[in-house]
Amino acid sequence: MNIPEYIASGILESYALGTVTDQERREVQCLSSIYPEVRKELDELTNAMESYALALSTEPPAGLKDQIWQKIQANTDEAAKQATEKETIVRPMPVLTGTYTYKFTWLVAASVGFAVLFFSYFLFSQLRQNQETTTALRSANNLLQGEVHQLRDQQLKEQQLLTLLRLPGTRTIELKGNEKAPSGDMLVYWNAASKQVTVEARAMPPLPADKQYQLWSMVDGKPVDAGVFETDTAPQTLNRAIARADAFAVTIEKRGGSSIPTLTNLVMLTAVGT
Amino acid sequence: MISPIFERQKTRFVKRASPFVTEEVLIEKLNRRDQQAFQWLYDQYSAALYGVVLKVVHDDELAKDLLQDIFVKIWKNLDNYDPQKGRLFTWLLNVARNTAIDALRSSRSSSRPGLAKTIRTDEDTVHIVDGQHHTLQPNSDTIGLQEIVGKLRPDRRQLIDLVYFEGFTHEEAAETLNLPLGTVKTRIRSALQELKQLFTR
Repeated sequence: MNIPEYIASGILESYALGTVTDQERREVQCLSSIYPEVRKELDELTNAMESYALALSTEPPAGLKDQIWQKIQANTDEAAKQATEKETIVRPMPVLTGTYTYKFTWLVAASVGFAVLFFSYFLFSQLRQNQETTTALRSANNLLQGEVHQLRDQQLKEQQLLTLLRLPGTRTIELKGNEKAPSGDMLVYWNAASKQVTVEARAMPPLPADKQYQLWSMVDGKPVDAGVFETDTAPQTLNRAIARADAFAVTIEKRGGSSIPTLTNLVMLTAVGT
Repeated sequence: MISPIFERQKTRFVKRASPFVTEEVLIEKLNRRDQQAFQWLYDQYSAALYGVVLKVVHDDELAKDLLQDIFVKIWKNLDNYDPQKGRLFTWLLNVARNTAIDALRSSRSSSRPGLAKTIRTDEDTVHIVDGQHHTLQPNSDTIGLQEIVGKLRPDRRQLIDLVYFEGFTHEEAAETLNLPLGTVKTRIRSALQELKQLFTR
């Protein structure tokens, strides 16, 4: 803000003459409290106007002083009286209102109370209903999630099998249990080119914890270890490379497998067809 | 906020109540709102305020009534006075002037529509009457001030009177005096600067 320019603008003179707007008056008052030079100029100008007004001084008629003081006192008394009157008007209010209004007030209060009660009950039952719905939805959701998991597992299994079966040269050999495991039923997928063997135990009798099924490939009448497998139904790719096989056999062996098959525990034997 | 200049003038011109009172002391006393406080206020300022009201309305009876209203108003609104924003005397002057101008305006607009014009055209005569009034009843405290005001150029003085005592806006003053608005604004500024120079000398 350019202060000399502001002082020279004539606004301070207008202020001293009382011809400024409210906005301008606040502006002048604000600036004069910040800038001493504005304050000084404003003081000198208002001083000049005060002196100018003083030059017109005329003694008012005698007795006016007492008259005014009486008027001021009457004014103060009246204000005080009005204040007390206001208070007294407030007090009789409950007396003026009859029993009818009194009963009516109770009626309204009771109605409001009942309304609130009913509304609360309504809200409460709504809440309970919502809670029940939530529980039902949650269990349904759990069920669905379980199914989705199952389906996903299934799909993964199918996918693996499909990949295996699509591979050219993969042969599927079905092994059936002998009299020691009449219900036994499993599939062996063997690819001579990739030397990979995968088993799918469709239905194998469960074994004690220290026992495991072991697969053997028969090459020229001699058994070759093809790896151990679990009884669950998921396809298991065994970590043995089998290049030749005339037949496949399954024995029950100790957990981890044996190097030589225990023939007394032979449960399956199927030749690989040519 | 009392400047030394004003302090000096007061000792010269406003010394009316025998123990001299500064504004701060007076304001403090006024807070009590008793009769003594009122007497201080009245003794100190009634002549100045009455002079202003007379100057605005040119009517002794009306001025008497207005002075009563003004003091009642001042007494009621003392709490609104803020010493940070200006001196007490300036505030009192504004209350008096605004009340008188409002009364003048309402009388102009209502019963006597011709009055405004009469007052305006009789401006010079009124000045003479005022002068006679003062010479007949010389106020020893204000003679010095009157001499100083007398040094102000008449056209400048007329402008200040129109704006300050008749509540004219710059536009109205320009219209009345048949002058361009810019000229009026410049002259008002120079009039106040002249007045300031005269009083600070």
